[in-house]
Amino acid sequence: MTMAARNIKTGIAERRLIEEAGAPGFSHAGWFDKARLAALDSFEAAGLPHRRLEDWRYTDLRQILEKRLTKTEETSGRSDAPAGLLDAVDAYVALIGAEGVEGDFSGLPEGAEIVPLGDVLDEGWVRDAMDASVFGDTDAPQAAAIIDLNTALLGGGVAIHIAHGVVLEKPIHLAFSGNGTRHLRSVIVLEEGASACVIESHQAGANAFSDFVSDIRLTRNASLTRIRIQNDDRSAIHLASDRIVLGEGAVLDGFLMTLGAAVSRNQSFVRFTGEGARATVNGVYALRGSQHGDHFCLTDHAVPGCESVTLYKGVLDDASTGIFQGRVLVRPDAQKTDGRQANHALLLSREATMNAKPELEIYADDVQCAHGSTVGELDRDAVFYLRSRGLDEASARQLLISAFLDEVFEAVTHEGVRDILRVIASEWFVQERSRHHE
Amino acid sequence: MLEIKNLHVTVDGKEILKGIDLSIGAGEVHAIMGPNGSGKSTLSYVLAGRDGYEVTQGSILFKGEDLTAKNVEERAAAGIFLALQYPIEVPGVTTMTFLKTAVNAIRVARGEGELDAVRFLKLVREKAKPLNVTDEMLKRALNVGFSGGEKKRAEILQMALLDPALCVLDETDSGLDIDALKVVSDGVNMLRSPGRSMIVITHYQRLLDHIVPDRVHVLSGGRIVKSGDKELALELEKSGYADYAADAA
Repeated sequence: MTMAARNIKTGIAERRLIEEAGAPGFSHAGWFDKARLAALDSFEAAGLPHRRLEDWRYTDLRQILEKRLTKTEETSGRSDAPAGLLDAVDAYVALIGAEGVEGDFSGLPEGAEIVPLGDVLDEGWVRDAMDASVFGDTDAPQAAAIIDLNTALLGGGVAIHIAHGVVLEKPIHLAFSGNGTRHLRSVIVLEEGASACVIESHQAGANAFSDFVSDIRLTRNASLTRIRIQNDDRSAIHLASDRIVLGEGAVLDGFLMTLGAAVSRNQSFVRFTGEGARATVNGVYALRGSQHGDHFCLTDHAVPGCESVTLYKGVLDDASTGIFQGRVLVRPDAQKTDGRQANHALLLSREATMNAKPELEIYADDVQCAHGSTVGELDRDAVFYLRSRGLDEASARQLLISAFLDEVFEAVTHEGVRDILRVIASEWFVQERSRHHE
Repeated sequence: MLEIKNLHVTVDGKEILKGIDLSIGAGEVHAIMGPNGSGKSTLSYVLAGRDGYEVTQGSILFKGEDLTAKNVEERAAAGIFLALQYPIEVPGVTTMTFLKTAVNAIRVARGEGELDAVRFLKLVREKAKPLNVTDEMLKRALNVGFSGGEKKRAEILQMALLDPALCVLDETDSGLDIDALKVVSDGVNMLRSPGRSMIVITHYQRLLDHIVPDRVHVLSGGRIVKSGDKELALELEKSGYADYAADAA
């Protein structure tokens, strides 16, 4: 199949993406090539999401990618600190690029594997994890278009499998870097009772367009800590979609940090398929300049007795834009659900914008659910108070912003990683400090 | 220590202080009394350097230097301390962390170098004990969920740690019951020294039973309309401010 030769009915942005991808990054004769063709068909039919779709009203991806084609931007820079700091974590490091997966995994315990996705497509656990039918109707068409794009143009990725009962003491660090356009996928499967911590760091270069999908399956009583740090160049475009399924008693401790990219969209789809599972999907975003960060979270309580927490906190400076769209869906059978969702944003500038849309959709009657959203400014009285005790203005602001965000860091259970995340956040303030001293 | 001459201050374009003259020597305690809206809190904020309080005329000299040229934190380092009537709640910052940050910021600005953790802890324990500030309070977020008395005790603890030359106590007695008033006043009295001056702003004479002032000034309509010794406070307690308010109007 040569994709460029196909009759493409959709617009300029879609055509460009397909042409850029060229031939598939790896060949596969089996089920995946069929899936790829089917995905290409449906991507062509639907096109890129645009603002007339409710879930994309704040991020018109079609227009953004159309503009990208006609505009060459200089690198807008980013801090190298996150990459450097994460190097300090004692972890199994896997460098992931379009070329493949690099790293020394000889120290991995038996039952744990980190392999290039293309090598294991025919394995049952990979195929099962990439099968989205478990999401049923919640995998909204809006999201599906983006996943289809990833499936159709997939250039590579990584697969992690942790066998029954294997507890990985050291974290796995998936380090994504690169330039240009990339469509990559991670498949992470933890079998019954397995436990692991996976850190994902993203450092794409100037004008990069990155499209990631992560398919995560936590089997019965499996436990995953997942930390995602997006620190792309501030001219890049970053799309990330997580599809996470939790079986009975499984625990997800998720945290993401959005610092980079001109435009980013993070989508998280969490579905409970077994009782007594618990998912934390938290995030921190810190944006400045004209950065645009969109966080979309859908948590689907399909079975009874599960607990979900979504807590996002953001700091928006200059003319940046933050978006939070969250939905907690509690299906009729999902009694005894505990679902909490909140977004709190701090605007550091009059030009910054926050759009928040938290929603609860509850069809069961014996549940505990709560949602909230606040947007505020730094408390001027508090800044004065701290300065009157000798702190300079930048330190006073930093202390107050750190205090505002700290609740989310506090919830990260992995202690060593938690401290590093705090330092990465404080690095953002160092830049704020130098600006306010100008 | 402090020389205020013909001080005029506007807030949001409205003149609140209309020519204040006040001279405070080293080690002296001056009380400023007056009705609501007379400009007492404005005076305290002007001394601390808060934004939005514009000096349109007159001068403030502190230890011989022009105070108005300094920003808020520079004044704190120079030795001005304002104990607020309503201390601000700062969620997420523990009292201990805040105290350490403040003490070290001031020490660095004064060229004294930071205290290490052990020396700092020792210092806090020593200053906290007489104020009945417990370890449990120090672990809580600054002022969050503190009772009125706890907030004021925390303010006096900050004052003790930051070692100021001029303490401005803005209605420190408000919201305190008799027992709390005594603890706070005793704490303030312990800090009285020949090198440290104080301005005690209050509506009520009862605080001045505990913190006995050298001078008492009546502020009304943005001016000091009467000054005297501590007996003046007792007089006011009987007659009220009505006479002075009428004078000013």
